[in-house]
Amino acid sequence: MPTLVIDDQKVTVDPGTTIIQAAKKLDITIPHYCYHPRLKSVDMCRMCLVEVKDIPKLQTACSTQVRDNMVVFTNNQKVLDARRSVLEFLLINHPLDCPICDKAGECMLQDFYFQFSRHTSKFKEKKQKKHKVVNLGPKIVLDSERCILCARCVRFLKEVVGTEELGIFDRGDHSEIGIYPGRPLENNYQGNLADVCPVGALTAKDFRFACRSWFLCQENSICPGCSTGCNVLVHSSERSYDKTLRRVYRLTPRDNDEVNQSWLCDVGRYGYHFVDDPDRLTAPSLKRGEEYVKVDWDTAFREVAQRLRGIFERYSPSSLGIIPSPQLTNEDLYMVKKFFNETLCITNIDFKLPGWNQGQGDGFLLKADRNPNTMGAELLGLSGIGPQAGEIIEKTRLGEIKALYLVGSDPARYLGEEKIASALSRAQLVVFQGSNYNYACKFAHAILPGATFVEKEGTFTNAQARVQKINQALRPLGESLPDWKIILGLALTMGYYFPYKAAEDIFKDIAREVTGFSGLDYKKVGDKGIKLALSGG
Amino acid sequence: MFIDVAITLLKIAFVFGLVLNIAGILGWAERKQSAVMQDRIGANRADILGLRLFGLFHPIADIVKVITKEDWIPPGGDKFLHTLAPFLALFTALAVFAVIPFGDTLHIAGRDIPLVIADLNVGILFVIAFGSLGIYSVVLAGWSSDNKYSLLGSMRAAAQVISYELALALSVVGVIMAYGSVELDDIARAQGQYVLGIIPYWGVIAQPLGFLIFFAAAMAETKRTPFDLPECESEIIGYFTEYSGFKFLAFWMGEFIEVIAVAGVVTTLYFGGWQVPFIDSQGFFVPGLFTIPLPHLLVVVIQVTAFILKVCFFCWFMLLVRWTLPRFRYDQLMGFGWKFLLPLAFLNVILSGVIFMSFEG
Amino acid sequence: MKIVGHKLSFLENIYLFEIVRGLVITTRHFFYNMFFHIAHLLGYQQDVEAAVTIQYPEQTIPVSKRWRGVHRINTRPDGSPRCVACMLCETVCPVQCIHIVAEEHPDPAIEKYPVSFEVDVTRCCWCGMCEEACPVDAIYMDSGKIPKAGYSRQDLVYDKETLTKEVPLPGYQRSLNPPGAGAPKVNPMGL
Ligand code: SF4
Ligand code: SF4
Ligand code: SF4
Ligand code: SF4
Repeated sequence: MPTLVIDDQKVTVDPGTTIIQAAKKLDITIPHYCYHPRLKSVDMCRMCLVEVKDIPKLQTACSTQVRDNMVVFTNNQKVLDARRSVLEFLLINHPLDCPICDKAGECMLQDFYFQFSRHTSKFKEKKQKKHKVVNLGPKIVLDSERCILCARCVRFLKEVVGTEELGIFDRGDHSEIGIYPGRPLENNYQGNLADVCPVGALTAKDFRFACRSWFLCQENSICPGCSTGCNVLVHSSERSYDKTLRRVYRLTPRDNDEVNQSWLCDVGRYGYHFVDDPDRLTAPSLKRGEEYVKVDWDTAFREVAQRLRGIFERYSPSSLGIIPSPQLTNEDLYMVKKFFNETLCITNIDFKLPGWNQGQGDGFLLKADRNPNTMGAELLGLSGIGPQAGEIIEKTRLGEIKALYLVGSDPARYLGEEKIASALSRAQLVVFQGSNYNYACKFAHAILPGATFVEKEGTFTNAQARVQKINQALRPLGESLPDWKIILGLALTMGYYFPYKAAEDIFKDIAREVTGFSGLDYKKVGDKGIKLALSGG
Repeated sequence: MFIDVAITLLKIAFVFGLVLNIAGILGWAERKQSAVMQDRIGANRADILGLRLFGLFHPIADIVKVITKEDWIPPGGDKFLHTLAPFLALFTALAVFAVIPFGDTLHIAGRDIPLVIADLNVGILFVIAFGSLGIYSVVLAGWSSDNKYSLLGSMRAAAQVISYELALALSVVGVIMAYGSVELDDIARAQGQYVLGIIPYWGVIAQPLGFLIFFAAAMAETKRTPFDLPECESEIIGYFTEYSGFKFLAFWMGEFIEVIAVAGVVTTLYFGGWQVPFIDSQGFFVPGLFTIPLPHLLVVVIQVTAFILKVCFFCWFMLLVRWTLPRFRYDQLMGFGWKFLLPLAFLNVILSGVIFMSFEG
Repeated sequence: MKIVGHKLSFLENIYLFEIVRGLVITTRHFFYNMFFHIAHLLGYQQDVEAAVTIQYPEQTIPVSKRWRGVHRINTRPDGSPRCVACMLCETVCPVQCIHIVAEEHPDPAIEKYPVSFEVDVTRCCWCGMCEEACPVDAIYMDSGKIPKAGYSRQDLVYDKETLTKEVPLPGYQRSLNPPGAGAPKVNPMGL
């Protein structure tokens, strides 16, 4: 185990570690561009030069492996001068685009210029002109002038995705990143290029010009796109909601070695738009004749409670059907189970609509099951109590089930509109609870608006049975509420009281009652999640 | 009989028409006069078809605004009294004009028409009585508003009005002594005499101190600056805090009518009423030298005009005072009333008595 | 605190003469002003002021050359706003009264432009920081104008078209670049 000294601090690391990694252990950041912890080092940008004692020339920290008794200086005058010179070179042909560059504010070139260089350009010649606003594919735009040719993008596509669509063309200061003719970027991981690029050369069309990076707040969350449960940061701002109807501006990956490393697939990355979609349900509404009228929560609860009770009294619990969705958090699902199944003794509860997990996986991050919490729903017992969800719909069509309560689910997506129309139009009561309008809402007698994943707190259990936490990044839109709160309110109106003030209280009960969750709390789940100890699993 | 009633109605129409119009114009005059005094221009933005007419449309705009406002009665208040109070204020102020003579007796078509609505022989007492009746509107307004601050404001106002009433009444005693009558018509007529042959024997000559006391006390009665503690709607919570819309306007009008009433009474008591120096029913004359006869009707018209002009002058003067002097503090107000004006009024009565006695004797 | 006393003389103490003095002053103003008002009405003495009032908005006082008035957006030679929608003004604005929505410009040399640019003048505190922050000299406060009253809040939110139409006050000190002269050389990174 080599022990070395970096800037007068001693550290012991594994053999084969590079200086930059060793420094990271000491919380010393060595500036760099081409180095990326998950890509191979290529020594291209020369930004990470450090001085190693007894070696006359500066060494690249990203590729020099540590030796025992090595003495490294990352901040002495020689190193600073070198950095300054590197920056001066990098900026020779760089355009003055910061005001319009999407990267400004989080650009490593900007940051290091202000931190280390602040030089005035001595370049008298004409700047090299390159291509701007180059369309690389459906999601990414390239600006060659801003590129510092670190090749991170090229290496990412080669080493991580393996599609190798990008390459460096031409030579010297004419070098440019580009695609091969007729081969635009088409892979499902190109969104990462905008994150990987240390400058504003590669920008995402989805985010382009929508917001400045410094207006954004970030909150830890989990991607709801599939059962992998990639760790994400939700970037949000309510700055111009009234003009653009946009509050969430992007999702970026959050490092988690166990789940998604540093990447995110495009299905999940760009799958957040439903949050600010104009079809969001924002106020509880009741069907009056053919019209829907907006009402307040109390009225909605009273009406739903009264009609549910009516059906209960006239028929039996078996005339009610509940279809929850694996998009809901553990807390929401637990409330569904606790209230409808354990309290009201309804057994027609199931989330497995036919075809619910029949997406297209790709063997890397994206899974065929496009629901973030299938495992949670299974563990909480929301399936296999009674008939399958498909049968519940069928029974509704046959008139055996008189009232159907949909919690966040969209049956028409799997079963087709005709089937849903014929089933739901026969029910005496259809309650739809969810965040966005879908086909089933057409038949709902009551619509209860639910919050989306960025608007509530809770946990998801991914396919590896890892419990991961989502945090609230925004206030729920309009009057919508987290689903567990809606069920809590409905239960209260029907005369059942549950002592939950926050999602955390529910999670405590889950930890107490559900095997596998025992002993957990939000603190233990933390930012990176925790794997459940499942017997046999 | 019928013709008497008709004549009385005509007189009422004339007097009230005049008074109410002057009151309306005072609202405009107050803004404009204060502006001119302060080197400003004053309200001039209300226009009809681009015609601004020196802001004369502002009173109309005010009325439109006030009438279209919500008429709000405090939920806990007394509806009847709350509505009654502002009208009481209007009524008591207007009633005073019933006894103020505005011209010499008119001889027309063989009839003698005294130019006063009601020639009461209690004259001046009637004026004082109705003046003090005014505090009922104040007290009722405060009481019926269901607001303790309004109530306190009305108490404050009542205390002020009552305090100054004493000095007011006592200062009038001097006038009664001078002319030997309480009837206003007699007093006005008696001011047609001349002292030393050429100086008109007006109240202000006979009672200079009495005039000052009366004028100060009367200003206090009208509740206007510098005695506007009961109201000053922008700074102090007064008795009509809970009033809005038309009823608020009624108080406001009542105040202007009181101003005119005070001007009328001051004119009648101290400034010769309708008398014009050197003009009497015979015509224009220079005492002891010659007389130019004038037709009776012309003389009456001159006299009525003179009366109106005198009233207007005092209205102007009271606005001048209002926009010149700052407001009293409440203790100063009370001190001034009780410790200064009242003793002075007593002194005035005694002095007048001694002087008149010595002259007669 | 130092209390500066003023001993009243006897005449001042009985007020009466002071009151008369006050009345004389106000009366003098009244008649003086009245005289000139009437004279003006008849067309005489126009050069003597009868009132100090300035009849805003018909009349305005002349403003200083450095005075910050309603914002104005400078234009490119082709008349389009010079603003590149960098939102630096929006960022620096201490009261958050600027709202910009940016979009992709068809010309790659311009790249970014504001589809909507609004200044809410009811919130603006006229600090001029937006003017300082703008890297392309697009926003100026040199119109020399005071915002007029409006019948709704929306009337007082000035949009891109309104702001582009404003013209600079002649001689305003900040107008280094006349409108339509194209973007000046800027150097945000000192390069
Ligand atoms: S890449 Fe960085 S330095 Fe270059 S224009 Fe963009 S923000 Fe500025
Ligand atoms: S586009 Fe970005 S990631 Fe790719 S080489 Fe250029 S700077 Fe590096
Ligand atoms: S002047 Fe100041 S407050 Fe007004 S828009 Fe500019 S930065 Fe904002
Ligand atoms: S700072 Fe200038 S260029 Fe940037 S958004 Fe504001 S006006 Fe436009």
